[in-house]
Amino acid sequence: MLTMNNVSKIYQTNSVQTHALRDFSLTVNEGEFIAVTGPSGSGKTTFLNIAGLLEPFTSGQYTLDGVDIGGLSDNQTADLRNQKIGYIFQGFNLIPDLNLYENVEVPLRYRGIAAKERKIRIEQCLEQVGLASRAKHLPQQLSGGQQQRVAIARALAGKPRFLLADEPTGNLDSLMARQVMELLEEINKNGATIVMVTHDAELARRAPRNIQVVDGQLADFTLYQGKPTLAATRDNETVVASGV
Amino acid sequence: MLDIKPIFNAIRRSKIGAVLLLLQIALTMSIVSNAAFMINDHVSYLRKDTGFPEKEIFSFAVMTFGKDRSLSQQAEVDETMIRNLPGVINATLSQAVPLSGGGSTSTMRLRPSPETSKSVSVAYYNTDEHGLETFGVKLIEGRNFRPEEVIIGDDFNGNGPNTIIVSQPFVEALFPDGNALGQTVYFSNRPLQIIGIVETMKSPWPSSDRDEITALVPFIDAKNYQHIVVRADKNERANIMANIEQNMLDAYDKRVIINVDGLDKTKENYDATDVLMMRMLIVLVVILLLITALGIFGLTQFNISKRTKQIGTRRALGARKSAIVRYFLIENTMVCMAGLFIGGVAAVVLGDVMMKTYSISSLELEFIVGTAIFIFAMSIFAVIFPAMRAANISPSIATRSI
Amino acid sequence: MFLHYIDLSWRSIKRTPVISFLMVFAIAIGIGLTMTSLSVYHMMSMDPIPHKSGNIFYPQLNIMDDGNEWHSSDNLPYQLTYQDAINLYNADIPVLKSPSFRSGFSVHLNSPEVKPTMEPARLVNREFFTIFDRPFVYGAPWSRDSQDTHEYVVVISEKINDRLFAGKNSVGQHIYLDNNSYRIVGVSANWEHHVKYYDVNNGAFNVAEQLYIPFSIAPLEEIGTWGNMNGWKHENSKGYQGLLASERVWIQFWAQLNTMQEKQQFGDYLISYMDDQREKGRFNREVLEFKLRNVTEWLEYNKVVSEDNRILVGLSFMFLLVCVSNILGLLLAKFLKRAPEVGVRRALGASKRHIFAQHIVEVSVIGLAGGLLGIAIAQLGLWGVRVTNSYYGALANMDVSMLLTAPIIALTASFLAGIYPAWLVCRTQPAIYLKSQ
Repeated sequence: MLTMNNVSKIYQTNSVQTHALRDFSLTVNEGEFIAVTGPSGSGKTTFLNIAGLLEPFTSGQYTLDGVDIGGLSDNQTADLRNQKIGYIFQGFNLIPDLNLYENVEVPLRYRGIAAKERKIRIEQCLEQVGLASRAKHLPQQLSGGQQQRVAIARALAGKPRFLLADEPTGNLDSLMARQVMELLEEINKNGATIVMVTHDAELARRAPRNIQVVDGQLADFTLYQGKPTLAATRDNETVVASGV
Repeated sequence: MLDIKPIFNAIRRSKIGAVLLLLQIALTMSIVSNAAFMINDHVSYLRKDTGFPEKEIFSFAVMTFGKDRSLSQQAEVDETMIRNLPGVINATLSQAVPLSGGGSTSTMRLRPSPETSKSVSVAYYNTDEHGLETFGVKLIEGRNFRPEEVIIGDDFNGNGPNTIIVSQPFVEALFPDGNALGQTVYFSNRPLQIIGIVETMKSPWPSSDRDEITALVPFIDAKNYQHIVVRADKNERANIMANIEQNMLDAYDKRVIINVDGLDKTKENYDATDVLMMRMLIVLVVILLLITALGIFGLTQFNISKRTKQIGTRRALGARKSAIVRYFLIENTMVCMAGLFIGGVAAVVLGDVMMKTYSISSLELEFIVGTAIFIFAMSIFAVIFPAMRAANISPSIATRSI
Repeated sequence: MFLHYIDLSWRSIKRTPVISFLMVFAIAIGIGLTMTSLSVYHMMSMDPIPHKSGNIFYPQLNIMDDGNEWHSSDNLPYQLTYQDAINLYNADIPVLKSPSFRSGFSVHLNSPEVKPTMEPARLVNREFFTIFDRPFVYGAPWSRDSQDTHEYVVVISEKINDRLFAGKNSVGQHIYLDNNSYRIVGVSANWEHHVKYYDVNNGAFNVAEQLYIPFSIAPLEEIGTWGNMNGWKHENSKGYQGLLASERVWIQFWAQLNTMQEKQQFGDYLISYMDDQREKGRFNREVLEFKLRNVTEWLEYNKVVSEDNRILVGLSFMFLLVCVSNILGLLLAKFLKRAPEVGVRRALGASKRHIFAQHIVEVSVIGLAGGLLGIAIAQLGLWGVRVTNSYYGALANMDVSMLLTAPIIALTASFLAGIYPAWLVCRTQPAIYLKSQ
């Protein structure tokens, strides 16, 4: 599904160079659910942004679903985002002017789907996250958990094969966090590949596979050895850390 | 002073805002200084003394179609009738109405043609011995026409007048050394002796370059279409004007009386285009200044909202309120000065282009300086309120995240 | 998608009503002022007779002896002498031509019921009506015959016909001009022109004359001109007959020359005519000079569009530019504030083009609203012009083309202001704004 080979990202501001990612390599298989952890400033978000085609990378090679990302134009990456990727953000990032229905509609419009088909999909997705009855409400009329469920519905509406979540439960209390996590697990069961960035170890542990980013590089997964629930699922790991 | 460098850097970083402000100030500067100059031109023209007591004078036109009476005899009868109306000071026949835009000019020379001599183009009024008092112009030298000097007829060359009363500018143009009284000028090769000089007497075209070299010629050529000028008591004028048509028709009815207008109204009609231009320029300048002031206000506001946290941090680090206000004032001053400088140069260029393309005199420096000072003061005014508000930003903002 | 963008624009405008109103207002004020001066300019400079303005020509002859100067830009007198006008009219060249000048009469029916009024009149030959395409409500121009036999005939305007004859067909009736009776041969439709292009002597924006009588009556009744009369040399002429024989210019002249060839022939004729006159003692000059200007050139030559108006149009466009830079600032602030939302849209698959289009549509909505409000403001401005100066009454109006121009200028102005902010916002890197909101 996703292969990164020695991907680096350097931020250049005036005279200061920051290596956000260095020689980062990772493979994610179809249907996986990966939790990415790491200290703040380690490069987790940069990794997620690059994986989600939200940011260009400086060097290396990245293939998503068989497509080499390196040489794509802005329009092509926009289309890929629209068709293959769903996003869930810590801040929900719902558009405040639009009601729930319209928020979910945004990616479908950009894909040029007909109104009738849009309606079916939106209702289906809102149903799935349990908010069908509140389609006409504006985001600020909802609780944080509800907003995040709308964001998930929006991510699902495009039937993405690849779902990226950046601290999806970061702004939520533990009860709501659990509900959101259960929703993600259900989505994963239905076939979508999920990469989730989190600093919540508890949450990370629920994911079948864990990786950790430290200082812009993939750290050794064995940091998590000794935690039996994870060890069992990690037997068929294909790619581990790289770099020195 | 000490703050200039960091402010300058800040301006450079948020360059779009600064460039916009600069552009706006420069444009405003170049438009306003030129427009103010033109407004001043129009105002000083409109305020100029015409020499006539405009509120006491009115005129009307008589179109006679009856052929059963002598026009010049009838004119005598009419004049006498009007002079006897209560409130009327005097009345005269005149081939042209002052300030009306319609009249006659002719070249007058020191020697008869074809001899070459000094000559001048003169706007003249053919009138009689009542003309001087009716027009209300001030005689500063010499005397009025005597009744026997007024010639009635249609043969100017053969049996015309021998005298003339001229305006002071006429004297200055033709007799620079000032000794005009008693001299002879040639009008269509007829020698006329200057017997009187009036101070100011505008022509029928006060806004043209033929505006003040004028003369009264004692010659009455009564035609079927002619003008009568009447001077009356200021308070009685409206009343007399209301009845004049009936009075004239009662005296003789085979004619039409039209254009009964006060001289102030006549001037207003003549100046309508100038007044219009002046009004439009004033509207343009006022709105433009308002818009620019709003623009400066808005941009300062925007800059402050972008820098709320920074200002809070500065306050937390010990900056006084006055320092914050000063910061914004200096920032504004720098942008404004640059804008005014560019605008000043643009104003000169624009003024120059207009002077070359149109009949506008060249832009005077004091208008550029005056406009610059005004715009600068206005910009300070537009900045000071948002800046004071910025100074009131609580230092605790710095510790909160936004 | 377009309708969706309009919907989004409307929401955005509603969300920031003050800024949106300021922007609409700034465009409206700019458009209002610009359209006020531009409308007057448009009316002044509009081709008054578009289908044949290139075929109607005004001849000017340089009648002055060498060593004399005229106050025109090319040293040619603006009008013709009576004798030249008559000679040109009688010249054996088969084109439509007519001398003309403005005068006026008291008009009455020689009965006490109708009070005499003064009406401006034009003395022309019958071809004048054809040259200028004057439609007739009743009757027709007088015949060549009545013209040649000095018959007292008149063409009256619809307006006079309405007043004196209650709008009925008055052909064959008589009216009095001064103390002469004239037979009405035709009633011409009212001439509603913005520019009195056939005679700019008494102001280019004056109203049309209400009466037309044959030019050949002028010498019989010694009819004087109400326009300009200028001389260039001293003449001992006396009375009206003296004027007719003099070198004073006071007659206008028009000829319809349909082809370049006709124009060439007419020009050749003018030269041979002047040459002929030179032998008779006139035109004492080295180089014979004439000009044939068509209607458009004639109006240009006479500087019909006032200088003040040109200046105002220029200044008001500069003013509009100030408004644009103001709006640019406001749009920048508004759009950049919305960058996080744009980031989300970009993440959800919007291309740069989508984002750009969305914002340009918003700018257009603002521009269009400003344009419409600007038309209202311009109407107010034009009303002010009409009140200040009644002479501009017919000019201070917006015709259809100006009504259409207003939104176009408004849209252009808003694009000018909106393109940079829209471009800036569409370049938003999606990642930057997603992390925390």
